[in-house]
Amino acid sequence: MNTTAAWANPQLAAQVLRERRDGCSEIALHVDALHDARQVLWLEQRINALPGVKRVAIDRPAQRVRVVWQTQRTSLPMLLESFAAAGCSAHPLRHDEIEDARAAEMHDALKRMLVAGMCAMQVMTYAFVIYIGVVDFVDFSTRNLFRWLGLLTTIPLVFYSARSFFTGAARELRNRRLGINLPVALAVALVFAASVINTLRGSGEVYFDSVSMFVFLLLGARYLELRSRHRGGAQGDALIDATPLLAQRRRADGELETVAALDLAGGDQVHIPDGGTVPADGVLESASVQVDEALLSGESRPRQRRRGERLIAGSVLLTGPAELRVEHAGVDTGVARLGAIAARARQARASIVGSDRDVARFVGRVLLLTVLTALGWLLVDPSRAFDAAIAVLVVACPCAFALTVPVTLTRALGQLARHHVLVTDGNALLALARIDRALFDKTGTLAVPRLDIDATEPLRGDSREQVLAWAMALASESSHPLARALAAAARREVTPTRAQAVQVTMAAGIEGMVDGRTLRLGHARFALAAGPLAAGQIDARLADDALLLADDRGPLARFHFHEQPRADAGATLEQLRREGVGLCIASGDAADRVAALAARLDIDDWHARQLPADKLALLHALQADGHIVLAVGDGSNDAPLLAAADVSAALTSGTDLAQAQADLLLLDGRLDGLIQARTIALRLHEVVAQSRRWALLYNLIAVPFAAFGLVPPWLAAIGMSLSSLGVVLNALRVGRERACDPGRGHGGPTPAAQVSA
Amino acid sequence: MNILLVLIPVTLLVIVVAVALFFWAVNHQQFDDLDSPAVLPLMDEPPPQDPAGKTDPPPQNT
Repeated sequence: MNTTAAWANPQLAAQVLRERRDGCSEIALHVDALHDARQVLWLEQRINALPGVKRVAIDRPAQRVRVVWQTQRTSLPMLLESFAAAGCSAHPLRHDEIEDARAAEMHDALKRMLVAGMCAMQVMTYAFVIYIGVVDFVDFSTRNLFRWLGLLTTIPLVFYSARSFFTGAARELRNRRLGINLPVALAVALVFAASVINTLRGSGEVYFDSVSMFVFLLLGARYLELRSRHRGGAQGDALIDATPLLAQRRRADGELETVAALDLAGGDQVHIPDGGTVPADGVLESASVQVDEALLSGESRPRQRRRGERLIAGSVLLTGPAELRVEHAGVDTGVARLGAIAARARQARASIVGSDRDVARFVGRVLLLTVLTALGWLLVDPSRAFDAAIAVLVVACPCAFALTVPVTLTRALGQLARHHVLVTDGNALLALARIDRALFDKTGTLAVPRLDIDATEPLRGDSREQVLAWAMALASESSHPLARALAAAARREVTPTRAQAVQVTMAAGIEGMVDGRTLRLGHARFALAAGPLAAGQIDARLADDALLLADDRGPLARFHFHEQPRADAGATLEQLRREGVGLCIASGDAADRVAALAARLDIDDWHARQLPADKLALLHALQADGHIVLAVGDGSNDAPLLAAADVSAALTSGTDLAQAQADLLLLDGRLDGLIQARTIALRLHEVVAQSRRWALLYNLIAVPFAAFGLVPPWLAAIGMSLSSLGVVLNALRVGRERACDPGRGHGGPTPAAQVSA
Repeated sequence: MNILLVLIPVTLLVIVVAVALFFWAVNHQQFDDLDSPAVLPLMDEPPPQDPAGKTDPPPQNT
């Protein structure tokens, strides 16, 4: 697609390189073929051997490689050549993708855990001496010395290792939200403060061993959680990187070529189909278009842009195709805002973490319970109040409960990414398990149209090639599946011509100037609207499902299509039906064609000649009946439907506008991703429900013991950490047994209703 | 028991050294990839230089 030599262009290079203070450059690359560990090592050795290379970091789950090197000694094209020569072709990522955050977070967690571990071991030995000293030979002053040593070694643990709990608790308090960090921070602070006071006084209990073990075990559980979350995130990143935003660049001879949006340089001419994403900042060269800049401004309102006005990268065209002249005002404009879908997919991961309302309620109850325990013991036996209250606070800390959803969901998203499904809204995945109706678009989604080229009928004596060339000039401007099929088929037969002043009317057709006259391509009603025949007089023979090409004097040619259901459509629908999901087709196409496809796929409920508004009405009717509806589509005309459905999925072979509204993106035109997503969603519900039951059960059993003062704080710390660990490990079961039988679906009829508890 | 007054500072010193070493290792990415180095001893020779620069995987990959 793009050669490595193009990256010699400094303007392009500036988009992907990050200059470091030591004079080296840093780049993040997406590498496809990293299959086994040996390959990773070879690649690393080979790149390291290049002159000027300072550091190579290969992240296998994310399929990313980070290189720090001196560009004076090895140029960027040469670096990319070396990757290609090693059998792993690499594609540069935007420079703001060079993220150290993930690695830095891991390093930080590891260090905290180790310091906590080291300190905990030391404190434990000192504590032993104190315990032994109670019964044996250690005299009073030595015991006091060991208390001071315990204090000394706990200080780094509390002020370095446990700092993340304190900052987390402070953040939760600032946001006026009860989270899991608060009880932890409270417990650590209270126990430490009490122990310090007792050490200073020289009498009373000290709990340095308990607090250090608590922090260490908790950090261990958090580290595991972080690892599994990063792995899930990395798998998602790999998929996002593998599907870069593409642009159609006009070559000097007027033909279009597909390049990555990142490769666009200033001055390039770019063609954007209707419903497409603007790939770079630039000046509009078409007469006028409507764009939606919602992804940038958050305000979903169509905006009119006229010739000479600027289009902003990342906005989505609502009407007609557009021609754009790329201009890069600077390195960061345009490219930095691209990949809105990628950003949303990442947000889906971020938004889930810590947004759980149940957790806040849970924490509130734990704090209340702690206070009650303390008060109760103050009445009965004040000397044991502190012990019991701390034990309750630690035992009941809902860490396991709070970890459940984020850990399990991240695991699920990572697994789905491996099956080529990208999730942009984590809550939609949860809802997917509960759907009982699925609404499918036909053309482009369930079926792929193909132009029946021999059946093309010229109606006014032009040659077949001539009418094909005209139709193709119009069709190549549109992103409708029929237009795409026509353009694809015609491209093999005729030399392309270009259409001027093209306007696309949604769910109707395309109009434009070809060879000096205005032509219209579309359904008969649209194509003949400008002609001498009034709408009522259209020949019934012409008003069927074929596409009609017409000028202002009447019809020129008819194009026939035949449709093939997608290879996996039958199996996917069958599986959905078996799981009790009602199926429904809503298509803008003619009744007989929809009926034919519905019969082939064994669907009774179909609706033909549906405008976007009709589809929306259909959806609302279903929702009013209490159904939870999944909508699957691919075209711009499905966008309102996708936006309104409970769960929506779009094929990435469709338009960007549809993708912008969808919760799930099915890559590579594979419908069976839906089944996999649903299987994983069901599994997710199952595992979340199970983990939560565990966590609740553990708390219900442990809290009474703790409240009655039967659980020493150190035992509480162990129990609580183990329950967190259980949840993290349980999450790994999502997507685990998939490999055995992909068609089988989930094991047994799991009632999805049990979940939302 | 006076030997404790020597031994305890020594253990503390050992901890400080161990933590320092560990921090150095973490900062130098020694813990970033825990999977690949395991197969390092199993590797024969590096893959032959492929002059065509084709994107097929290394031959040893089978």
